[in-house]
Amino acid sequence: MMHRVDTMTSMAMTRQQKDFLSLEHCSPESIIQLLDRAESMLPVVRRTVPATPVLAGRTVANIFFENSTRTRCSFEIAAGHLGARVLNLGTAGSSSSKGETMLDTVRNIEAMGVDAMVIRTDRSGGARFVAENVRCPVINAGDGTHEHPTQGLLDLLTIRQHIGRFEGIRVAIVGDIIQSRVARSDLHGLVSLGAELVLVGPPSMVSDQFKEVACGPGSVEVSHELDPILPELDVVIMLRVQAERGSSISEGYTEGYGLTGRRLEMLDPGCIVMHPGPLNRGVEISDEAADDQGRSVILQQVTNGVAVRMAVLSSLLERP
Amino acid sequence: MPDIIVPGMNATDRTSTLIRGGRIIDPASGLDATGDVLISDGRIKAIEVGQPLSVEPDTRVHDASGCLVVPGLIDIHVHLRDPGQQHKETIRTGSMAAVAGGFTTICCMPNTAPALDAPEHVEYVHARAREAGLARVHCIGAATLGRKGLTLSPIESLARNGCVGFSDDGDCIENPDMMKSVLQACAATNSVFMQHCQEKSLTIGSVMHEGAVSLKLGLRGWPRQAEEMIIDRDVRINRDIGCSYHAQHLSSAGSIKIIRDARSRGEPVTGEVTPHHLLLTDEACLDYDTDAKMNPPLRTEADRLKLIESVADGTITILATDHAPHTMAEKQQPFDDAPFGIIGVETALPLYARALVESSAIDWPRLIACMTINPARLLRLDENGLGRLEPGGPADVTIIDPDHQWIIAPEMFHCRSRNCPFNGWTVNARAIATFVGGRPCHVLEDSRFQSPA
Repeated sequence: MMHRVDTMTSMAMTRQQKDFLSLEHCSPESIIQLLDRAESMLPVVRRTVPATPVLAGRTVANIFFENSTRTRCSFEIAAGHLGARVLNLGTAGSSSSKGETMLDTVRNIEAMGVDAMVIRTDRSGGARFVAENVRCPVINAGDGTHEHPTQGLLDLLTIRQHIGRFEGIRVAIVGDIIQSRVARSDLHGLVSLGAELVLVGPPSMVSDQFKEVACGPGSVEVSHELDPILPELDVVIMLRVQAERGSSISEGYTEGYGLTGRRLEMLDPGCIVMHPGPLNRGVEISDEAADDQGRSVILQQVTNGVAVRMAVLSSLLERP
Repeated sequence: MPDIIVPGMNATDRTSTLIRGGRIIDPASGLDATGDVLISDGRIKAIEVGQPLSVEPDTRVHDASGCLVVPGLIDIHVHLRDPGQQHKETIRTGSMAAVAGGFTTICCMPNTAPALDAPEHVEYVHARAREAGLARVHCIGAATLGRKGLTLSPIESLARNGCVGFSDDGDCIENPDMMKSVLQACAATNSVFMQHCQEKSLTIGSVMHEGAVSLKLGLRGWPRQAEEMIIDRDVRINRDIGCSYHAQHLSSAGSIKIIRDARSRGEPVTGEVTPHHLLLTDEACLDYDTDAKMNPPLRTEADRLKLIESVADGTITILATDHAPHTMAEKQQPFDDAPFGIIGVETALPLYARALVESSAIDWPRLIACMTINPARLLRLDENGLGRLEPGGPADVTIIDPDHQWIIAPEMFHCRSRNCPFNGWTVNARAIATFVGGRPCHVLEDSRFQSPA
C-alpha cells in the first residue's frame, strides 16, 4: 500500500506542474504567487494599461461539457488579454450530444493542436481525468461538486484586497456546501492560508465530516445556525442552492440561512459580502445585501476572476 | 445435482501423480501433516503421512516440500460475462484465470445477457466450461426472471439442471414480498439464496463510501445502511422460512453484527468477504482511481479491521472474490461513469494470505477451510466430494508455495480484463500447480513443478 501512496503523491506533483486542477494540491506559496501575479494583471483588466500579448500565437480551447456563462466569458477575456486565440466548445450540438465520449472529444481537440484546455464538466474528477489523458496543460473550470480552483483564487484575491491577510480571519460559507465545488476550493485555499472557517447550512447541506476534508494551519467549524456567528465575521460567502444537482429549497430556507436585511445589520462594519453567482435574489441573498455599496464585493469578484485566470493561463503557458 | 465433469475425468489421464513431502492441509478431516498424496485415474488414491509412498512405474513425482497441498480452491462468486459480454471475459479465459489462481471450482453469477434464468442458458455455460476443460464451473441461477425482481424464475427446474444456488447478484431483490417468495422457493429445493445487499433508494447515483473522502472528492456517497438494512430485513423474513441465506461481498462493520446475531440464534445465515474489502479503504479512491470503484464500496479502516476480525472469530466463513472483469475503455472514464468492480481470481490467494495469515488473524488451515470445505458445504458441492482431500474422491488439488514472492502485474493475467487495483503490489504465496480431476490444469512456469523431480 505504501508503494501505491508514494506513486500517487509523485503523480499529483507532476500533474500540478502541467495543469491547474485544484487548490487542495497547491502549496500556500504557490497560491500567494498566483495572487500576486493576478494583482499585477488587474490594471490590464481595468483597461488602464494596455495588455502584453505574452501568449500571442497560442490557442486555448474552452471545452465546456456543462453550461456556463460567467466562467467561460471570463476565461475567454483572460486569454484574449494575453493575446491567445480562443476556441470555444460547448456540448450542445457537439459530438458529445451524439454520444462521443469525453475522452474522444478531448483527444480530437488535442489532435487539432491546442496549447491548453480549459475544462468544465459535471463530473467530479473530470478535469483531472482529461489532464491524465492529454499532453497539454489543463485548467479546471469546475468539475462536478469537486473543485472550482480559479473561483477559489478569485475569492482569495478579493479577501486579501479587503481584509489584507488570511491568518486568523473568520470566514463563513453559507448554503449548499455539499453540492458546491466553490466551497471546496475556498475551503482548501483558506485553511492552507490559516483562516478560521465556519461552514453554515442545514444538516442536509453541511456535514460534520467537512472538518476532516482540508489540511493546513486554519480551522473548520460546522454550524447549522447563522445568527450567532454573524457578528464575529470578516467575510461572509453566500452560496446558491443547486437545484440542478438535486438540492431542494425547503420552506423557511431564507429565514434560516438567507442573508437578509436584518442579518446584514448584525455584521461587523468591516465584514464583506461575497457570492460566486449566479444570485438567487430573495432566496439566499436579499437585494439589500447583494447591492450594499459598503459590503458587497460581488462585482469586484467578477473583475478579479479575469485577473486570476490571466495569472493561471500565463503561469502555465508562458515560455521561460 | 449433476457434477460438471471436466475432460480430464472423461479422457482419464492414466499416468499417476505423486505429490511428495508437502504440508497436507485438509480442513474437512482436520489433517495438517507432512506427507504424500497419490493421484490416479482422476481421483485421490492415497494420502500417506507416516512413511513415503512407494513409487510405481509411470508415476510423475512432484516434490512439494515447503509447499501446502490443499483441496482445490472454490470461489462461489465470479462473473464470467459469458454469454453476452465476452469482450470483458469468456468462460474459457475466466477458467484459465481461475486455475492459475489455484481455483478448481468457480460459481458464476447470473448477471449475463441473457441472465441465467432458464435451463438452456445454464446448459450453455456448462457446455462452454466442458470445452474449456479447466476449472469446474457451476451456475448460480437468477432468482427472478431477467433479474428484474418481478417474477420468480423456474427455481426448481434450474436446480434440477445444475444451478447450485440462486441470486440476482448485481441487483438486490428489493420487494420484501418477492424476497419471501424467493426464500421459500430456494428452501423447497434445498438451495442457498445469495443476496446482493443494496437498498436502492439510498444509493441513487452513489459511487463510493459516504464519508470524508467522498465529501472531499465531490462524489456521491453510499452509506453503510444500504447494506445493513437489507440483511436485517432478509434475516427477519427468513426467520419463518429457514432458507440457507448468504450475504454476498460484505463491506460494513454493522453487517457483521447482524450476521453474528443471526448465527448465534442458530439461523442458517452466512456471509462472504472479498480480498479488496479486507485490504483497501475508501482512500484508494482519492486519485479518482476507477479500479477502486466497487459495489459495495471500499469503506473505512474501522470497517476493514472489523471484517478481518469477523473471519478470525468465525462469523464470516467464506472467502470469495467477486471477480468482475471490465475492459480498459470501460474503466478509463470519469469516476461517475466507470463500471463497478475488479478482477480477483488470479490474486485472491496471496491477497487473503496478506490480509489474514500475514496479519496473524488466522492460520493457513483456517484460510484453506474458508476457500474449500466451507463454500463446498454451503453449495452442497461437498456431496460430490469437492472441498476435501479424501481417498476415492475427485483429485482436485492445489499446491501452494506460501513463500513464493511475486509482483502483481495484470498484463500477465489470463483474465481478459486488467481492472486490478493491486497492480505493482509485492505479495507472497502462489498456486504453483492446480489439478482438476487429476489433470494438471495449471503449472507455474519457472517453478520447480515444471520439470518433475
